[in-house]
Amino acid sequence: MTSTSLRQRLRERLTPDNIRRALWFGLLVFAAYILYLDHVVRTEFERKSWAIPARVYARPLELFPGEKLTRARLFEELKFLHYRIASTTLTPGSYSRHGNDVDLVTRPFTFWNGPTPATALALHFADGKLAALQNLATGVPVSLARLNPVLIGRIYPADRSDRQLITLSEAPPDLVNGLISVEDRSFYTNYGVDPRGMARALWTMLRGDGVQGGSTLTQQLVKNLFLGPQRTLRRKFTEVIMALLLNLHYTKQQILEAYLNEVYLGQEGNHAIRGFGEASKFYFDEPLSQIDLAQSALLVALVRGPSYYDPRLHPRHALARRNLVLKELLQQRHITQAQYAQAIREPLGIAVAPPLSASPYPAFLDLVRRQLLRDYPANELRSAGLRVITTLDPEIEVAAEHALTTRLARLETEQHLPADSLEGAVVVTNSQTGEVQAIVGGRDPQFEGFDRALDAFRPVGSLIKPAIYLTALEQPGSYTLATLLEDTPLSVQESRGVIWAPRNYDRRFHGLVPLPTALANSYNVATVRLGLKLGLPAVMNTIRELGIRHALPEYQASLLGADSLTPIEVAQMYQTLANGGFRVPLRAVRDVLDAGGHPLQRFSLKVTQVVPPGPVYLLTYALQGVVNHGTAVGLAQYVSPDLHAAGKTGTTQNLRDSWFAGFTGNHVAVVWVGRDDDKPTGLTGATGAMTVWGKTMAQIDPEPLNPPRPADVDMAWVDPATGLRADSGCPGAVRIPFIHGSAPVQSAPCASRSPIRVLKTWFQRLFGHQSGI
Amino acid sequence: MVALRSLMPLLSALALLLDACTLLQPATGFSFDSSNVAVVSLFNTARQDRRAGNLSAADATLERALRIEPHNAALWQALARVRLAQGRYRQAEALAQRASALSGKDKALMSQDWRIIGKAREQSGNPTGAQDAYRKADELMR
Repeated sequence: MTSTSLRQRLRERLTPDNIRRALWFGLLVFAAYILYLDHVVRTEFERKSWAIPARVYARPLELFPGEKLTRARLFEELKFLHYRIASTTLTPGSYSRHGNDVDLVTRPFTFWNGPTPATALALHFADGKLAALQNLATGVPVSLARLNPVLIGRIYPADRSDRQLITLSEAPPDLVNGLISVEDRSFYTNYGVDPRGMARALWTMLRGDGVQGGSTLTQQLVKNLFLGPQRTLRRKFTEVIMALLLNLHYTKQQILEAYLNEVYLGQEGNHAIRGFGEASKFYFDEPLSQIDLAQSALLVALVRGPSYYDPRLHPRHALARRNLVLKELLQQRHITQAQYAQAIREPLGIAVAPPLSASPYPAFLDLVRRQLLRDYPANELRSAGLRVITTLDPEIEVAAEHALTTRLARLETEQHLPADSLEGAVVVTNSQTGEVQAIVGGRDPQFEGFDRALDAFRPVGSLIKPAIYLTALEQPGSYTLATLLEDTPLSVQESRGVIWAPRNYDRRFHGLVPLPTALANSYNVATVRLGLKLGLPAVMNTIRELGIRHALPEYQASLLGADSLTPIEVAQMYQTLANGGFRVPLRAVRDVLDAGGHPLQRFSLKVTQVVPPGPVYLLTYALQGVVNHGTAVGLAQYVSPDLHAAGKTGTTQNLRDSWFAGFTGNHVAVVWVGRDDDKPTGLTGATGAMTVWGKTMAQIDPEPLNPPRPADVDMAWVDPATGLRADSGCPGAVRIPFIHGSAPVQSAPCASRSPIRVLKTWFQRLFGHQSGI
Repeated sequence: MVALRSLMPLLSALALLLDACTLLQPATGFSFDSSNVAVVSLFNTARQDRRAGNLSAADATLERALRIEPHNAALWQALARVRLAQGRYRQAEALAQRASALSGKDKALMSQDWRIIGKAREQSGNPTGAQDAYRKADELMR
């Protein structure tokens, strides 16, 4: 084939019709390409940048006159909230102190009942109390106020678990202004591309100075979201189309927010630092909303080249570029000369070690997630920008974490155990409302792994005994606190012909013992005898009523706590006791608001009466005996006996598990100590878990336990040795509660109605006072 | 001396009476007493919300008050009233029972609790149970 014939054939084909057809075809391909890009842009953008995680908050701190709140505790809370000490004027999120007075301005926050504006308050402290509360501006007394709650974590999309995603409103204005001044001045007015900038870039490229710059923020976002860092003309073309499409579909705010969350700002190992929220954590160890002007300028400086301007590796490059950004801000009149002068003098302010932990309270967040997942589909939780107000009390959480970690280290030394061999878990709740205030899932509270408070099923040992005694006390005709139980040798025929002979911890039998004494000293044999008399089904039914949901095996050994429960299940069980027989489901979430702050769902208080208040009152009296003179008497080393705390120790075979569960006037707390490999710890409930319980309580200043006496409960004097009625004057007589009509009728020898006593008083009357009989 | 001694019980009784009067002084009309201004203000807000039909706000406000004074029977009772208005009759009954368990010797308050229980039972289709509750309420007022 010659060249002429080729040319000729070409000419033959290039008819106007053919050219038109080819043009149409090209246009069609181009349109298809645009449609394809449009699809990519929209799906990817929605998938990535609308994934605003649910934000999770602690309980807000209430402020009211007369509140038991020290200045030190307030400062702790303000530290959690990153409030600043104000140098001159108070602005929201700052405070100042003068002796016993603190002035502060709260940050605005939208609660369930609507928005609460920033409020200026004057607080006066005296005698460990918030003595007075006033409006700082007007001096008018304020009866109640609350601080904005501490942000304790976020629930993220699965594929980016450690992202610190932010909303546009969380970004400091200096940062946004700096970004626009330096990177894309026409951002708010352009169509996603800037022709003049592009022309400039093209000119530089044609001159042979390499491909560079000229990208709008929208184009940069396209590069970060859809394209790689390579620069070719074809890619540039795709980039421009995509930028135009983005601009067409989304508002400037949406694009800017996505940019703030997507832009590449550094590298840690093989983990890319993306977005300003994460960068602020990575470089300053501060939330983005807290950084100042100079820090904002530094983050803006990094956009141009995160490795060249890396403030840790090249502080001089970083400083020069930061100051350039500051100068731009000044020239664009976003900041004053004074602000500029102050900011350029500031050091880079880089945090030494970059922390990338998602939440300081992973175990609690775990519980929140589980509670929410019952009501929300997982994707909604991760992407709808929900605001979740929880029940966590950061003060109590920190106290419990501290108590667990320090006590475990001490116990290992004392017991000559290998370091870090002991593990533990703590649950603290509000005893009346069922709100979970603290969860510690292990001795490294920051570890996001196995959460022992929620997932460690361990034999509960004697923690189960209150259920047996409660079953008995629900039958006032047969059992009272004056009933004598038999603590004598016992052999039980187990189902497979095996003989089970329960023993006491001290390997002795104690004969006839008053019911409260058997519980206080945790006598196994007396308890098993009682449990067998009541019947296993009756006891198991009580356990279910107290709030244990899952089916437990029913063995005779169940009476000594052979069955396994998790610490949070035990907390639910003791919650019902602390609540006078009303079961209140434990809750970690108060309410959920949508991204706009509108109320979505409340998890309201629910109660169910499962045991009459009378028997629970009697049991509580007996559980107070455990602490007062029983196995938990050592608690007095940590908390005052005036607290009248009620509790129970639990120890399992070969000292594998050490438990303590108990309650004060306002808290229920459960502690488990043991080893993950299930080896013996050498600890009893009292030497291990109880000390953690005591140390936790000592730090949170609990209320004394004085349960209200139910209407059907009377007090009567009895002689504990015989279980008979006594007089207040009788030696050793005690005044104890009885369900109405169940107090013993027969009198002990000492009591006035006993025959001997009647004779004695007759002699007394006859011969004067000291008859000597 | 003797005269003074015989006066002592009278004086102390008088003092107790005075004490009781200041304690029982209704802070806001009605039978609600608390020495805590925050609780009083929350109680009043919740009552306004309930009467205005804003039940979820009343609910949230009463829980806020209960966190401050968890043993205050009147707050539990107020929450029971909100549940009654919400049509959550089982919760209304349970909360009124909780209130009653905390009412101590305050028979008037306890009688109101049983009246709420009666209403909850009546509206959930249990007229016999309701009659029992009303009878109990009446007995307490005798």
